[in-house]
Amino acid sequence: MARYIVRRLVAMPLLLLGVVTIAFLLSHFTQADPLTSIVGERQMNNQAVVEAARKRWGLDRSLPEQYLVYVGNLLTGDLGISFRTKQPVAYDLKLRLPATLELVVAAMLIGTAAGVALGVVAARFHDRPSDHAARLFALVGASTPVFWSGLILLYVFSVQLGWLPGPGRIDARGAAPPFVTGMYTLDSLIAGDFATFRSALSHLVLPACVLGWTMIGIVSRMVRASMLDVLGQEYVLTARAKGASELRVLLNHALRNALIPALTIIGFSFAYLITGAILTETIFAWPGVGSYAVAAARELDHPAIIGVTIVGGAAFLLANLLTDIAYALVDPRVRVGGARGS
Amino acid sequence: MKPSLRAGYRRWLGALALAGTAVASGPVAAQDQQPLVIARLLEINSLDPHRAFCDTCQIYLTATYQGLVALGADNRSIEPLLATSWEINPDQTEFTFHLAEDAVFADGSPVEAKDVKWSFERLKNIQGSPSFMMSGVAAIETPDEHTVVVKMDAPNSEFLGILTAPYTIVVNSDVAAEAGARAGADAVSADTAEAWFLSHSAGSGPYVLDTYRVDDELRFKRNENFWGEAPPIAEIVIDHTADAVSQAQMLQSGAADIAMQIDPATAETIDSDEVVIETVPSFNFIYVAFSPGAEANRVPLTLEVRQALAFALDYDGIIEFTVGGEGNPQASPIPNGFPGTTDLPMPVEDLDKARQMLADAGLADGFDLDVVVASLNVYGVDLPLLMQKIQQDLARVNVTTHIQPVASSVWREQIVKPGIPFTARFYAPDYYGSAQYVYFFGMIEDAYWLTNASGGQPESLINPREGELLEQALATADEAKREAIYHEIALQMIADRIIVPVVSPNLVLAYRNNVAGVRYSACCNLPLAELSLK
Repeated sequence: MARYIVRRLVAMPLLLLGVVTIAFLLSHFTQADPLTSIVGERQMNNQAVVEAARKRWGLDRSLPEQYLVYVGNLLTGDLGISFRTKQPVAYDLKLRLPATLELVVAAMLIGTAAGVALGVVAARFHDRPSDHAARLFALVGASTPVFWSGLILLYVFSVQLGWLPGPGRIDARGAAPPFVTGMYTLDSLIAGDFATFRSALSHLVLPACVLGWTMIGIVSRMVRASMLDVLGQEYVLTARAKGASELRVLLNHALRNALIPALTIIGFSFAYLITGAILTETIFAWPGVGSYAVAAARELDHPAIIGVTIVGGAAFLLANLLTDIAYALVDPRVRVGGARGS
Repeated sequence: MKPSLRAGYRRWLGALALAGTAVASGPVAAQDQQPLVIARLLEINSLDPHRAFCDTCQIYLTATYQGLVALGADNRSIEPLLATSWEINPDQTEFTFHLAEDAVFADGSPVEAKDVKWSFERLKNIQGSPSFMMSGVAAIETPDEHTVVVKMDAPNSEFLGILTAPYTIVVNSDVAAEAGARAGADAVSADTAEAWFLSHSAGSGPYVLDTYRVDDELRFKRNENFWGEAPPIAEIVIDHTADAVSQAQMLQSGAADIAMQIDPATAETIDSDEVVIETVPSFNFIYVAFSPGAEANRVPLTLEVRQALAFALDYDGIIEFTVGGEGNPQASPIPNGFPGTTDLPMPVEDLDKARQMLADAGLADGFDLDVVVASLNVYGVDLPLLMQKIQQDLARVNVTTHIQPVASSVWREQIVKPGIPFTARFYAPDYYGSAQYVYFFGMIEDAYWLTNASGGQPESLINPREGELLEQALATADEAKREAIYHEIALQMIADRIIVPVVSPNLVLAYRNNVAGVRYSACCNLPLAELSLK
């Protein structure tokens, strides 16, 4: 197991280099010159200004040269300067990644808890109204576009009912908590600022629910299918025959085993949610990596585009690795790396 | 003793319940102790005062810096600011300013003539978007600490107006230079201060920059060393709110005090006694533009063809379709209310004339026209949607338009080369004065639209009369005479038919009823220092 993890960790930089190379090439084959984002509209006609900007941003060099400089800088942790924000991309990501992680973790908690619960209910009451209702709820969540459900939920819960605040991470009248993790809920707790914690948590509820809802469908369907499979197994019948309560049979015997395939889905969902947070962040004015990526793509901000791609790639690779490890820990039959066939 | 698992669960459940209670209980803090919140799309290209060039930048610069003069609340008059008085020589080539002796920057140091000279030179030499405002400045002299003499290389009666633009503000040169700012001829390559300005302001304005987080918020706090009357509100936040619907929601819920980009249609959906909605005419406008020099033209876009297409547009329908009637027609590329625009002939729809003119040009059967437009919604007008309306209008004279919506950055490149045969765009003034429009839209040498529309052959479109008239206007001190000259220039620009304004959208001022001082400024959008709470 340890050898497997080490091997995967060693391979990760190479895989990331591949991601960087592809992202670099793709961003340089776009339709327009990134100088249009750097030089003002009026100045695009001024050749002297255009050339000065080209030189200043290193765009006068050949593509291979730009690539080598970029990779060289990358090795020192320098992701370049964003054409749009004029700040180091690493700094931008440091501010924005925690926002996305906070949203994604909250969405995962909601998606996993609700997905598992719905899956269990649906399997336990197979082909009965509860099953149909759970499946319908999951289906709606999985198939409704986030931009639509987000706006509707905002309108209902924020505007009409006034139960939850509108877009943003925090009430604009308040100030962000001192930066520790970058996650406002955690940082406000660390600072002992409960008013800010309340504001941050209340702002998190709606976008996390919207994003988590898309995951509920996938998780609940997987859990339902696994549970139906497991509930027919002999050891479940044995447990029931031995007089175990239905709740104990469901949670301790059936769910524990049914969760193993769902674990893969949950693991992959993390990476999916990180990249899938783009629309949610846009709707809820959530200043995370997703909205950063959208703005970067719109403004041909090459360093930011590549930076986000690296983060997304790393998140996917890490999630993959962690899922494999969790899979091996949960299911003793699975042995990765050093497994020997019998 | 190790706590039991069950006890651990209980603790977590308790924490969750506490969190839930906290979420449900809502905002509590007193209004008067909280900052004023403005909901607005935060599209900022830079906070470097000499590189910044955007609508939000105008608000920022006006709040944190000051210029020599300011635009009055009537959006026409020029008032003293850092300069208490000034003299202009008869031929409009020399401007002498006398600085207020008690003016200080936010760090308490005095505003001196050297700061003005340094700021103007940096603005010119850094070659940022607003650098054009200093074109024509030949020399800046500082005979003493409180006197600045600006010498122009040609008469410029509009220079005082230019100095009301927030881009011509005065920066604390010592502080900025220490942060890497340079004003010399090599500033374009030697200056390294742009990133520093993202977290610092260095002006003498009523506010200072507190924090700026990209796509999140721009926070101001009162300048405790402000040399003028202290602004009523201690802290103001511009909260990044991308769309009009979200801004309206924030306004209604009380999360925001002012919403700045609500379009008339969204304003109609606001139903609250606590929200004030005012609709005022603006100087912003949307126009369509022809580029006869664009490579993609399938037929020559001659003057006759351009005139015919302009006659084919349903101007009233466009205003109704785009802003629900909450806008005004505009005759020339100089906006209504600016010098020279009184009694200009408004554009008219005349389909018969359009058809006749196209027939005379041998195009009775029509032709295909490529349209590239940026996917933008500006001043409540969705540009691709506007083009769909125009597509229907032009179809009536057998012209088939092929609309291609593109990202703004793609548009900015294509308009220069290979050119775009037909497009739609927008413009907002930088200050009160008509010359800025001639420099941008006129068919005069080096004008932005002459270069774009001519496809590298400016002589094909240049209108020498416009250049002559502009020269006269800039050399004329008499306001009435200047107005008459700009009127003639406007007529010439209408006749060019390169730029056809289609709507000047009204501006919706939307704010909570306890807010006072909300107004539209032609140069500065929203002067924050004038805001107060009732």
